[in-house]
Amino acid sequence: MTSYLLRRLPSLAVVLAVSSVLIFGLLRLVPGDPAVTLAGANATPDAVAAIRHELGLDRPVAGQYLHWLAGLVTLDLGRSHIVGGGIGSLVGSALGYTLLLTASALLLAVVAALVLGTLWAGTRRPWVDHLLTGANTLAIAVPTFVLGVALALLFGVVFPVLPTGGVPREGLLADPGITAQYLLLPTICLALPVGGVLTRYLAESLRTELAQPYVVTALAAGISRRRVLVRHALRNVLPTSLTVLGLQTGAVLGGAVLIEFTFSWPGIGMLIERAITGRDYPVVQVLLMLSVTIFVVLQLLTDAAHALLDPRIRLGGTR
Amino acid sequence: MKLSLSRRTLLSGAIAGTVLLGLPACSSAVGQQGSGEVEKGGTFTGGISTDLVPANFFTNSNAGVTTVIGLTYESLVSYPVDRLEPKPKLAESWTVSPDGRTVTLRLRDDVKFHTGRPFTSQDVAFSLRTYADPKWNGQLKSTAQAIESIGTDQPHTAVLKLKHPLGNLFDLLEIVPIVDEKTFSGVGDGSRYVGTGPFKFEKWTPNARLRFVKNPDYWVPERPYLDAVDISVVTDATALTNRLRSGQIDYAYGIGYHDIERLEKTGRFGKIQLAGAENQIYVGTNVTAEGLSDVRVRKAIAHALDRDRIIAEVFRGSGYPADLPWPKTSPAYDAKLNTTYRRDLAKAKALLADYGKKVPTLTYSYASPVPQYEATAQIVQANLKEIGIEVKLEPLDPPTFVAQLIGGKFKGLWTTYHSWAQYTPSTLTVSAYPFNALKNTSHYSSPAYTKNAEAAWKQTKGDSAEAKQAYAALSRDLLDGLFLIEIGIVEQRWAVSDKVKGVGYTKRSELVLTDARLTG
Repeated sequence: MTSYLLRRLPSLAVVLAVSSVLIFGLLRLVPGDPAVTLAGANATPDAVAAIRHELGLDRPVAGQYLHWLAGLVTLDLGRSHIVGGGIGSLVGSALGYTLLLTASALLLAVVAALVLGTLWAGTRRPWVDHLLTGANTLAIAVPTFVLGVALALLFGVVFPVLPTGGVPREGLLADPGITAQYLLLPTICLALPVGGVLTRYLAESLRTELAQPYVVTALAAGISRRRVLVRHALRNVLPTSLTVLGLQTGAVLGGAVLIEFTFSWPGIGMLIERAITGRDYPVVQVLLMLSVTIFVVLQLLTDAAHALLDPRIRLGGTR
Repeated sequence: MKLSLSRRTLLSGAIAGTVLLGLPACSSAVGQQGSGEVEKGGTFTGGISTDLVPANFFTNSNAGVTTVIGLTYESLVSYPVDRLEPKPKLAESWTVSPDGRTVTLRLRDDVKFHTGRPFTSQDVAFSLRTYADPKWNGQLKSTAQAIESIGTDQPHTAVLKLKHPLGNLFDLLEIVPIVDEKTFSGVGDGSRYVGTGPFKFEKWTPNARLRFVKNPDYWVPERPYLDAVDISVVTDATALTNRLRSGQIDYAYGIGYHDIERLEKTGRFGKIQLAGAENQIYVGTNVTAEGLSDVRVRKAIAHALDRDRIIAEVFRGSGYPADLPWPKTSPAYDAKLNTTYRRDLAKAKALLADYGKKVPTLTYSYASPVPQYEATAQIVQANLKEIGIEVKLEPLDPPTFVAQLIGGKFKGLWTTYHSWAQYTPSTLTVSAYPFNALKNTSHYSSPAYTKNAEAAWKQTKGDSAEAKQAYAALSRDLLDGLFLIEIGIVEQRWAVSDKVKGVGYTKRSELVLTDARLTG
């Protein structure tokens, strides 16, 4: 597997190089620049020129690109024009928040899918089936921005048991109990649609699996239905479900943008929204490069995990 | 059945247990939030909708900056919000020479920066010089640049020598925060804000919060009452309203006018209307565009606008209609001149008939998504349709809008706010770009306007009879030239819960909590 991963490296480098040119070039085609954002509605043109010079935006574009690239290679991400501060620490802090949120949402979605998907496929009671079908449809159909506001109103304002948004005053690590309460509503909101998709997929695959001849044989041999479901059928459908999970991880990262906005969770979504609105070139560039890298790496990891779970798959023909 | 039920019970029990795990066992996040229940001390919690932009430190342009400056910094003099009468602050007293070109400021000798270093005349010189640097884009930098030298021979006397008399020098001294030279590099990246004010800046977490603690060595005895201030950044207006309603915060800057009305109806919240720190909403015209190049067409538009409706519906009555930029608190305010262009459709149509040609469809630009601009633009579009002028709305994202504004690229009409008319009137014409006599967004120029703007700037006594004459001449230029058509004066609103008292503000909408207290 190592050699497979090594052979993928050059194509990875090409993808990253091409995207760096695209990202840098496209951003500069958008009207308005950071100097204009900073100057504001009352400023004079010479003030804008002074700010543009201060930010180095009056230098040739090719020179700006090479300077940025050299910085990236040496891991010097530069400074933000609008948000302020070093990009390394800005992105690091935002990434921490986003990863915490997405990881807990994924965990919740996976646990829910494993429990409810198995129950849904295994049940022979119509009312359980109807209940789960209804709940599942709702979970997938209600948009996160509606759900977010509804949950915040219900549990924050009508029954004030949870914070309507924000982050703990003393930081994430000060008191895990407090952090969990701040995390609960955004996590549920983010996990629900993904959990819904995963549950439905898992249940569907399980039903297909349950119609296989070996299940009939096992049942005929007197093995309990629950045991067949959990020990045999579930095991066989997990690898394909993992691919769906990999795809849904992308959806979770995308959905996090909206959720972060609704719950004022200072993650990558909030950062990129502000950076784009303000034309904060250095921050947008680094964040877009980061997302390209994450998606490429995620894809690699899904391939690798697939190989680990399913003994029939051999990556790149190696043993 | 039995098996299924027990499985179900087990399942729901497990889920409920997971959810409730933290709740009873540890302290509640809801209980921890809010401002507490003490008269003296305690943490004041608030929320703002726009985060700090460090590079905008001297521009007074967003809630993050005005919060930091209002709590952490002080200036040499201060104006009461309703008058342009300088009161002592870091300068105890001052004298102006008869020729108006030398201003001597005597400074307080008991003031220390938050680092413990005493405040001296060197700091005055550093602050004013830094403000004059174009890279900080200070609104009054032309005034600051007109200071020739700053004498700092004595630690507690600063002598300003001016290139020419300045009518708005005290505006500058009111606006410029006195900064600490030793730590000033931290201002550029948002890591350190060291001033002389009632609160020490503790930490800024981008997109999340600003924290301040009490300055125990503040020069005003027994102030501030509060121990700490915690301001969250909540960019979504609905989320900000929910925070306030749930008791997580007690102060909010950035909630819409309609939402504040609804909050007031609950009886638990009130509003602070920022009279004296006004903004103006206006319709700008490109006077080189076909149709708009004729002043009769611009006057017809001015007569067609339904200003009362815009103020009442869009701004929920938080302001008043106006034809001139000056708010009621300004020495240039003249009630008669201010109603020159009353809504009069017959007159508007007569002006258009006099013009004779058909006015082409006008492009009308505004920044989006900003609810107030969108609503205003729609009303203006309907008003102009009544007199037969077709308008095409062009929403632009904010940076594009500002780029076109500064570059003078608007095709026809535009709407936005301008500010700086709440200060000495000459401050507006020499600092706000839309009004700049030499170069402006409208491409308007008139020798008389340029001359009168310059004359108003050089008035030394901002409220003398002579100065008022100069302002009246300026007002008439604005009304005759009519390159900017004012809609009205708007006063922003803050929402506060009934748990806080004594929240104040400055003429620049800065948050002042020196006298603020929390009540149960």
